[in-house]
Amino acid sequence: MSFRSLRWAVGLAVACLVLAPPALAQSIEVDPADPTLEVGETQQLTGYYVDAEGERQRDTTIAFFSRNGRAAPVSRSGEVTAQAPGTHTLVALRPASGGQERLMTEVTVTVSQAPVAEVAFADVPSRVFTDTQVPVRAEARTDGGQVRDDVQIQLESSDPTVAEVDHLHRLSGKASGTVTLTARAEGQEATAPVEVVENPVASLDLTGGADSARTGDVLDFEATPRDANGAAVDDAPVHYAVRTEHTESIAPGATAEIGGDGRFVAEDAGQYTVVATSGSHTATHTVSVTPRNLDGRIEVVGRGRVSDVHTSDLWVWEAPADGRDYAITGTWGGDGEAYFWDVTDPANITPVDTVTVDARTVNDVKVSDDGRTCIISREGASDRKNGIVILDCADPTEVSVITEFTEQLTGGVHNLFIYEDHVYALSNGRRYEIINIEDRANPEIVSQFELETPGHSIHDVWVDDGIAYSSNWEDGVVLVDVDNGVQGGSPANPVEIGRYAYPSGWNHAAFPYDDEETGKDWVVAGDEAFPNGLNTENEPTIPAGWIHFIDFSDPDNPTEEARYQVPEAGSHNFWVEGDTLYVAYYNAGLRVVDLSGDLKGNLYEQGREIAHFKSFDPEGRIPNAPMAWGPQPYKGHIFFSDWNSGLWAVKLTSEE
Amino acid sequence: MHFSRFLVLAGLLLALTAAPTFAQDYYAYVASESADEVALVRFDGEEATVEETIRVGRIPIETEGAHGLTVSPDGAHWFVSIAHGKPYGRVAKYETGTNEKVGTATVGMFPATMEISTVTGLLHVANFDLHGEQEPSSISLVDPSTMTEVEKIETGIMPHGSRFSPGGRMHYSVGMMDGTLYEIDALERTVTRTLTLDGDTPKPTWVQSHPSEPLAYVALNGGDAVLEVSLADWRVTRRFDTGEGTAPYNLDVTPDGETLVVTYKGTGETGIWDLTTGERLARLENSRTVTHGVVTTPDNRYAVVTAEGVGGEPGAVDIFDLKANERVASVDVGQQAGGVAFWKMEPTTAAASDASN
Repeated sequence: MSFRSLRWAVGLAVACLVLAPPALAQSIEVDPADPTLEVGETQQLTGYYVDAEGERQRDTTIAFFSRNGRAAPVSRSGEVTAQAPGTHTLVALRPASGGQERLMTEVTVTVSQAPVAEVAFADVPSRVFTDTQVPVRAEARTDGGQVRDDVQIQLESSDPTVAEVDHLHRLSGKASGTVTLTARAEGQEATAPVEVVENPVASLDLTGGADSARTGDVLDFEATPRDANGAAVDDAPVHYAVRTEHTESIAPGATAEIGGDGRFVAEDAGQYTVVATSGSHTATHTVSVTPRNLDGRIEVVGRGRVSDVHTSDLWVWEAPADGRDYAITGTWGGDGEAYFWDVTDPANITPVDTVTVDARTVNDVKVSDDGRTCIISREGASDRKNGIVILDCADPTEVSVITEFTEQLTGGVHNLFIYEDHVYALSNGRRYEIINIEDRANPEIVSQFELETPGHSIHDVWVDDGIAYSSNWEDGVVLVDVDNGVQGGSPANPVEIGRYAYPSGWNHAAFPYDDEETGKDWVVAGDEAFPNGLNTENEPTIPAGWIHFIDFSDPDNPTEEARYQVPEAGSHNFWVEGDTLYVAYYNAGLRVVDLSGDLKGNLYEQGREIAHFKSFDPEGRIPNAPMAWGPQPYKGHIFFSDWNSGLWAVKLTSEE
Repeated sequence: MHFSRFLVLAGLLLALTAAPTFAQDYYAYVASESADEVALVRFDGEEATVEETIRVGRIPIETEGAHGLTVSPDGAHWFVSIAHGKPYGRVAKYETGTNEKVGTATVGMFPATMEISTVTGLLHVANFDLHGEQEPSSISLVDPSTMTEVEKIETGIMPHGSRFSPGGRMHYSVGMMDGTLYEIDALERTVTRTLTLDGDTPKPTWVQSHPSEPLAYVALNGGDAVLEVSLADWRVTRRFDTGEGTAPYNLDVTPDGETLVVTYKGTGETGIWDLTTGERLARLENSRTVTHGVVTTPDNRYAVVTAEGVGGEPGAVDIFDLKANERVASVDVGQQAGGVAFWKMEPTTAAASDASN
């Protein structure tokens, strides 16, 4: 038969099929078809099979499942429970059997909120001053105590001539007297008495700050309301604002800010007037801000080019065997190699040894304080046991494998840290294991630390002064006492100190920075994000993310105060030494940033960057595509690894 | 059967039997675990080529581990399991042909093998969970239309290989570290039977049903053997010793039920067995070490086998001719090639063109 004949036969058959009388479609139906429940209720659904003749019959083979098992779980037999408000989809499924095709239908379950059972004031002052404004907060709650944020609460004053409430629930004192505030929602109401008293403030002092500053300098202002006798009125509200008077004609963006705590900072040069207000009283202070004008330069001193494989992390140290300086670098997506370099003369970086292990990626490399022990991480091992490999690197020209350790680490170790005879090694991005390596040939797990949040995940851990700083993506930075004593922690008994998360969920690395000048304990937290993907061949990559400065001075109430954000680029690893931050900012290269003084706002916009260097290399793994991975300041030089070009040694200089 | 449908089928059968034998192109998807890539491989009867490479995963700088693959029964979509997540693994759904991603579902730890039930339409995913403590893991049930995990069914320690019975009703998986075969009724969504497999460390890594008989075959990675299990009697009925150090890992039975193809991870080989006689027909070397996955073609002619390689080596896809019992083609893919799923076979473009002239 020719192909033409075949087509004719198929066409004839299809025509017969088309001309045949159509059969009615089979289906399944569910009772009730549109179930509606309140949170907490359950309801039994019933499935029916409707055959080709339209006859409907109960069918217990119909199975149910939920597409949102947390909000509306359903049993196989159709008992649905309303757990969360909204519309949720269930599926009723009649399995394929006896030549009959599988039938499915969706059932939309509408779950309404439980009604408001109570309205209550959550935050209301018992006394306010005339000519001042304070926020008021009321909540609508269900019988189970759940707060209904979706409910509009009406607030009303019994006498607006004494005290008035606006649409943003701000209470303004108008005249002396007493009012009753009433909050109403869904037929429920609550009341609260508020006394309005004559504002005793007779003057307002504005102190602190400075007459002049540089961009990025944080100035502390303090406004003090005083009565006629000069005594401070502590409960009189104060508001701050800043007025800009530019000294340059070029139109700037947002250039200065002052917070509710009186901390002021400017991004641009100019004159700024800080305005403090309390009631009808104001006080001002004008600051002249000049450019920071940091004039750093980065000079390339030496290279250890790696262009046949991507490079990962680095560590630089002095070897005890000969007192010379060495560096170790890892490899990414390669053959499981770690390279050792003699960097004693940074202008003549020389490869001295290579260790190859069963892995595709050696993402992290760390060296013990005594310089005798190197530990490298493994991912992509052919036996899928991964784990870590402990090396004797006392003589980096003849490195030997002491042992590998894979217990609890088979999911791959992405990062690790060595601190006082213990290794802190990530396990499958889920937790970190704490491993005693006093006997290097026989490591022993002594404990682990894992978060309790749903879907938690960890990316990095760094230990300093007995505190482990872990970076946990959506869960942010977590501080754990592992030998500091602040919480009685030890390697065998890690105890959490505090944590801080930010909305992007990009937390990738963390580094402590205790500022002696301000006395603040900062945790510098870095992002990693690839919204534009990662190009492993041929093209440069444009990552995203920045550096967050979190004031952890009060571990119970950490606050994010500043950032360092380079546009169109993405942060990676970093290091703080003294008041200087060194950032490997992927496609933006190596960045050196001045952290002196207090921190607030965007340090990049403030001109706090001392210098930067983009590691272009025409012979790189991807040519001319800077991808700085990790920096380390060491003995007056800055060493950094670049994903596309290997090891660099540079020096920070300033113009004559 | 309606008369019209009978006519269609009869016509097609007539046409196919009367038509000349077309040269075939065979298409399979292959996952590379250390490269986070899926390759679409085409074999034209002589040469294997990579038609397209699709990067998978969402944290590109990290190795997320593209492990298992399956193609939906209608051939419209392929699914890849991503072993490492934050920290849970995921299954991503792609359109065949365009290879565009259309959805993902978060499942359990280190999702590995998976298949869609033709009875329920739900994707069953074995959560291998090879990390940390050895504790019971689960099979995730995913609604593939919306990529929603609808349920987890607890099974054993490190469930790996998993496949459905031909009817799509019973799901079989093996717990690698508890040496147990698990049967799940896809309708009831419960474990209905368990069978402890022999030996102290059998380490079963794969189970595959026979296409027409009530039998299943289990690869004992730690026992250097393949077991035949009677699903009717729920007991081991035959044992195929694969040889010391072979560490059989994956296996597949040809659609005609006559041939068993087993990957020998330990020796980098592939074993071809006659299921009627129980004799091994061939023991063939792969092009790389660490042999991993296998799938046979619908015409019973070829086995598509993946070999991981070690370290910086690329992975490989080897094609074995099951008539000649020899390796006839190989092609490099990304590092640590593992999961493999057959997509389709179709007449080669040239042959179809010739036939129409």
